[in-house]
Amino acid sequence: MLFPTTDFAIFFAIAFTVNWLLNPYAGWWKLSMLGLSYVFYGWVGWSYCLLLLLTTSVTYVGGAWVNASSTERGRRIAMGVSVGALLAILGWFKYYGFVSVNLDNLTHALDLGRAVPLLQVGLPIAISFFTFMAISYVVDIYRRELQPARPLDLAVYISFFPHLLAGPIVRGGELLPQIRRRRDPNSIDYSRAFWLILAGLFKKVVISSYVASAIVTPVFTSPTQHSAPEAIFAAWGYAVQIYCDFSGYTDIAIGLAMLLGFRFPQNFDAPYTARNLQDFWRRWHMTLSRWLRDYLYIPLGGSANGQAQTVRNIMITMVLGGLWHGAAWTFVVWGALQGVGQSFGHVRRKSRERRGLPGVAEGPVRDWVQRFLTFQYVCLGWVFFNATGMSQAFAVIGRLFSGWGEASPLITPLLIVTIVGTLASQFVPPLRIDRLQAAFSRQKVAVQVGLLGFALLGITTFGPVGVAPFIYYRF
Amino acid sequence: MSDAPTPPHHVDWEPQSEFASRAPAELPPAADDRERAPWRHVLKLGAAAFAVWFLLYAPTLQHNAQVSPVGTRRTVSLDVTGPVAAVSRALQLSHIVSITGRGSGLGGPSGGLTVSGPRPGGQPVGGSLPKSGSNPKQGGTKPTTPTTVPPDPKEPTAANPLRVLIVGDSIGIDLGDALQPDLAQTGVVTAALDGRVSTGLTRPDYFNWPAQLAADLKSQNPQVVVIMIGANDAQDFLGPPDTPYTSPQWNTLYAQRVAQFMQIAQSGGATVVWVGMPPMQNPGLNAQMSDVDAVVQQQAVKTHPPVTYLSTARSLGTAQGGYTAFVTNGAGQVVNVRTPDGTHLTPGGGQVAAQQVIAELQTLGYKIP
Repeated sequence: MLFPTTDFAIFFAIAFTVNWLLNPYAGWWKLSMLGLSYVFYGWVGWSYCLLLLLTTSVTYVGGAWVNASSTERGRRIAMGVSVGALLAILGWFKYYGFVSVNLDNLTHALDLGRAVPLLQVGLPIAISFFTFMAISYVVDIYRRELQPARPLDLAVYISFFPHLLAGPIVRGGELLPQIRRRRDPNSIDYSRAFWLILAGLFKKVVISSYVASAIVTPVFTSPTQHSAPEAIFAAWGYAVQIYCDFSGYTDIAIGLAMLLGFRFPQNFDAPYTARNLQDFWRRWHMTLSRWLRDYLYIPLGGSANGQAQTVRNIMITMVLGGLWHGAAWTFVVWGALQGVGQSFGHVRRKSRERRGLPGVAEGPVRDWVQRFLTFQYVCLGWVFFNATGMSQAFAVIGRLFSGWGEASPLITPLLIVTIVGTLASQFVPPLRIDRLQAAFSRQKVAVQVGLLGFALLGITTFGPVGVAPFIYYRF
Repeated sequence: MSDAPTPPHHVDWEPQSEFASRAPAELPPAADDRERAPWRHVLKLGAAAFAVWFLLYAPTLQHNAQVSPVGTRRTVSLDVTGPVAAVSRALQLSHIVSITGRGSGLGGPSGGLTVSGPRPGGQPVGGSLPKSGSNPKQGGTKPTTPTTVPPDPKEPTAANPLRVLIVGDSIGIDLGDALQPDLAQTGVVTAALDGRVSTGLTRPDYFNWPAQLAADLKSQNPQVVVIMIGANDAQDFLGPPDTPYTSPQWNTLYAQRVAQFMQIAQSGGATVVWVGMPPMQNPGLNAQMSDVDAVVQQQAVKTHPPVTYLSTARSLGTAQGGYTAFVTNGAGQVVNVRTPDGTHLTPGGGQVAAQQVIAELQTLGYKIP
């Protein structure tokens, strides 16, 4: 079920009412929320609910096995087998097609015959997200940072519909305690929740859709037929499109959870204000970033074993992070670019520190130059991220070297204002937005109703007919 | 994975991590000046705001319901939105939406016209919604080279490129997304693509393809028209009276629509290539597409001059014309040609179909490199 649809509006009205009516009855609340979440997920395809159930079962058994193991070796084996099983499920659905086709073509080139059967495996929506949550649960138990949850609690944790489809990737230690305790029905932070939901809808339905159709899709569809300035604006436009799409989804998810009495972790923090790649990854998809840090980067050795190994660990982490997004060479390149950018920053920072300088050079002009360069580098990565293949990505980049002096009819004043305005909005201090929310909460009910109703009207009026699914749904 | 719950370097890397140096911040704590409310109040507030929106937007919602596929969902949507839309119009609230330029019925399926390829003089051009002729900066396609003898479209050059128009539904877009750049990159073809998702020939109330094709012909003046439409056509014709898909009259009516569409495509003298639907994974849909393709094939032969019908049953299917997700291309490489929904084409599948179309154009005598 997609968030910006009438179906979901009706669904959420029911879920909201059930959530608060059953709030005093923990058992019934959990059962109802589990049922609602499975209905939400099953709306896409009922068979996928079995996959969700399978992942939940493996996670529960894995967590219990780790906890029951009396020796450190036994715990490690239990954790390894459980994580391996979860990764096997993910790998089958997400990577089998990619691996089998590439392997088949390799063996064909070497005249070795067919290596593996070619099967088309459908990618279940959200599998990457709930698998990562499941892995974190098992590993956290192994690390003794989390106690095993009851089956029903765990099932609600993994399937809870506000985060189910595209995150945020919430950890057991964050969500399970909230699932277990009774929430306060008289203290809903509704002004913030409504702001997040409407801002998310606006970003997704209006901004992201417009930029996609105005510049990104035309240029990426036939890059060689567009000018260099159009190619540049397409890359900048995609930066805006994916930010508005994904952060819009996250805003809606956090706002919905807030209306149900839950608090989710923040997932975006003005990422295009970043001054380097390290800073960018502290601000972009923050729950994935910390997951990669805690469950991949640190187990690889982190930054504890010297510069060379740190760079190696960064590269492995980011390339695998790229592959997490999808089984394609474009994602591998995107991840590698992130790794190279972060490694460069790491080496440079260490070099400066050895000379007794601050890790990052500061100053008003330097800040803006760093922001500008970081943004361009991020946009370079987005070209690969959005391309359907390597040839398309290189075709877009190639226009920078051959597409000058041609007409650029796609670059319109409205497009420029939209891109610049979206980037500029990231510099608005959060305090100002807090004040707006507070002012809204103090208005009379009639004014609040009017503001909310007309905001919704504006979004649906200026958005296209039929909103495309969120980009991150396919990951 | 690390053995220890908290690795010894934990303190070292934490403040200088390449990734998040802190856990993602919780949303601001409760110590702020925003007022909270009980859940029943929030429910009433949300419901009232939704009601305001519904009242103002009901005419558009009603229109969207009218053009949606026939079925229970459409019936219920019309029953719900109809009375509210009537109230909205009676109170003249719908004007509030209309003044934005997006009043009831102004929305349409996503998609639109894009043009790629050389314009007269050999310079590439690309963009959305270009108009030919008057403004060369916007992708004019009419040859402007002063010649006394019209250039032969079968021997296109950069100065006098072959003008190709590709139209289709979502599967047509899958084809067009590959065919358009392939043609444009030859340097002697200007390719325009007008693809509209969820459209077809049975529901002109949703999207009027004959009218759109006529407009595209006027703006692009193509010499070749490539059509790939039909995936959404196995549904009832709306009346009154309605003509169910399963009724004997359906084939007759659909044949008339296809014939009319072919005639419009040929009206400017263009060569028309109609690309058939590929085999579908779903047996029911596959049978429906066989019906649709059979009608198209019949009409292709009946039309004067005949329309070239290009079957994709084997190029995108098995040797027997059945469904497969993988085919082997000319280079001997296995290509995944179908998306997991078993209906649409992957970029690789679009590429296979595009090469088939280009080969057919070459067979028809068009000298495309």
